[in-house]
Amino acid sequence: MTEYRHSRTTAAVLRSLVPVICPPEAHALAGAIVEHMALTLGASPLAVRAGFAAGLATYDLGALPRHGRRARHLSPAAAERYFAAWEHGPTPLHVQLARAINQLMSLSCYEQPAMMERVGYRPGPWIDQVRRKRLTVFADDVRRQEAQILAPDPLRPGVRLRSAARGAKGTVA
Amino acid sequence: MAVARPAVHEGARPPGVFTRHDLHGDAVLDADVVVVGSGAGGATIAAELAEAGLEVIVLEEGSYYQTRDFTADTSAMVRQLYRDGGATIAVGAPPVMYQEGRAVGGSTVINGGMSWRTPDKVLARWEREAGIAGIARELEPCFERVERRIHVAPMDEAAIGTDNWLLKQGADAKGWSVIGNLRNQSHCAGSNRCAFGCPTGAKQSALVSYVPRALHYGARVYADVRVERVTRHGKRATGVIGTVAGSGHRIAVRARLVIAACGAIHTPALLARSGFRSPSGRIGHNLSMHPNVKVVAIFDESVANWKGAHQAFQVREFQDQGLVFAAVGMPPSILAMSFPHRGAALGRLMDRYDNMLLAGMLCEDTATGRVRTIDGRPQAFYQLAEADAASLQRGVALLSELLFAAGARRILLPFHGAADLQSPDDARRLLDRPIAARGWEVVTVHMMGTAAMGRDRSRAVTDGFGFVHDADRLMVADASLFPTPIGVNPMETIMALATRSAGYVIDHARRLLS
Repeated sequence: MTEYRHSRTTAAVLRSLVPVICPPEAHALAGAIVEHMALTLGASPLAVRAGFAAGLATYDLGALPRHGRRARHLSPAAAERYFAAWEHGPTPLHVQLARAINQLMSLSCYEQPAMMERVGYRPGPWIDQVRRKRLTVFADDVRRQEAQILAPDPLRPGVRLRSAARGAKGTVA
Repeated sequence: MAVARPAVHEGARPPGVFTRHDLHGDAVLDADVVVVGSGAGGATIAAELAEAGLEVIVLEEGSYYQTRDFTADTSAMVRQLYRDGGATIAVGAPPVMYQEGRAVGGSTVINGGMSWRTPDKVLARWEREAGIAGIARELEPCFERVERRIHVAPMDEAAIGTDNWLLKQGADAKGWSVIGNLRNQSHCAGSNRCAFGCPTGAKQSALVSYVPRALHYGARVYADVRVERVTRHGKRATGVIGTVAGSGHRIAVRARLVIAACGAIHTPALLARSGFRSPSGRIGHNLSMHPNVKVVAIFDESVANWKGAHQAFQVREFQDQGLVFAAVGMPPSILAMSFPHRGAALGRLMDRYDNMLLAGMLCEDTATGRVRTIDGRPQAFYQLAEADAASLQRGVALLSELLFAAGARRILLPFHGAADLQSPDDARRLLDRPIAARGWEVVTVHMMGTAAMGRDRSRAVTDGFGFVHDADRLMVADASLFPTPIGVNPMETIMALATRSAGYVIDHARRLLS
């Protein structure tokens, strides 16, 4: 994983897409959603990141011929129509980019604590509850399994090899 | 009531595990055996050989995490535990998104923990077609041993969530075969976080089973080390060279036996990067993927799919046709990204998250793809066969019927532009019009077959124990070995094959390691 930050163009285009892709209740979270997308992209291969950035730049400029302004500056209604045109449109590359933007932004949208809370997803307390239960109700079995993992049980009874490498564990330059 | 002490994998980092923080310069290490990869194959064979008294070094590209590191932060877990943040794609129409674990413990850290033996018919086929005589008989004790080690057992009923009970209810209503899933777990409590690192330690992944065992018997595990190539002298493998993440320091391991266990995508790339050629010309070929699709059913009642054990049941009615169904809980972010909806429509849909049941289907594929090595990096290519697309379509129709029988009100489908299903009749009508392979949204976590074993060196990459044909002291121990797809979750097969191979190495140690 490498440190990744959106370029100014990428961040601006993504921010302008939040009202197009995210539900209204998430619009106030635009900054956090776009930042979260940077984390996701940072874990992606370089080629994916580069392709995504190039695609967004093309998307931004592609609005000029029809709308006379960049995508990031379109009115809400025009932005909606323009994105829909890419979703259905003219080449598989348009479709793929629109789909990728939708996927990444939807992921980041529902990773926001307020959105998780909204849909009733509260994994932290649930994990704590079931972890506690496992370690209390099943304490003996848990211990037994841990002991079993380390207990001697040679694959070939009676056969133990003498390591040729023992005594020569290596050097650090 | 007594509380169990911290598990063996918790607390301080155990002796024998080294990470990039410990590696401050270039290093040259010696071992009897070096294992590349610490997942189902690598950890298993490392533990068996270490217990036999061999000096074993395991190199793992991913980092070392412990159970306490696995949190409820889904996307952070994906970034840490999945290769390329999960954005790995096999090129084809449709592209197939696949996931690999990249951490100590490999993909066992992020899988669902399904533990099934290789079906008899598959082993019979391997005997017949790949010429691996006696493999079914030889694997029997290996399965028993693996199941004991990773604690394969059915789920505690109390840990099973509503989504899985609904799946079973639907199968029962249809009169279809449904079985309790066997999983490698010790009192799984149903956190439903299998895919993001088990936060309770219940899933007996390699991280908490074979890796601690290997360490206990003296193996050393180096995390954060990406192996670039196998070193060789002629056709004899002599060790490996890798790079430490972050620092770029070099690690060379000199060993008498090299075992590649990097999974079916990266093992063929490692062999290719290292200049090994198979007389069969089949390194990287024969890629099977068990293409997987999902449907989302919406119920009136609360489903809370994120509570309860992952895939507690499997519907096996159509296993002979290569189809297995299961319920798979997922966090809202992962579900949201899988929907084509956006804006207010996405919001309205996601407001029903609590009522959603996500069901998946595994398809035993007939097509094979290929892993090519481009500039040293693997790239998978896989074209979903029209016949497999037809199987998936039939499976989606059947699964939808089951979900309606369980009380679903609406079902969302895994292909572009499809209208939601509102009734069982809609489900049956799904079969009226074929859906082309390119229209599907396909994912997988089962990659297999790219260094397939077989007796005939003109057709197979390795022999029946995983030794690379026409190379010396070089083995493969992962799902690359599968001559064919197996139609069930592959982890136990990988572990059993690794156990069998370890037995062979021990039995022939004088010859192999002299």
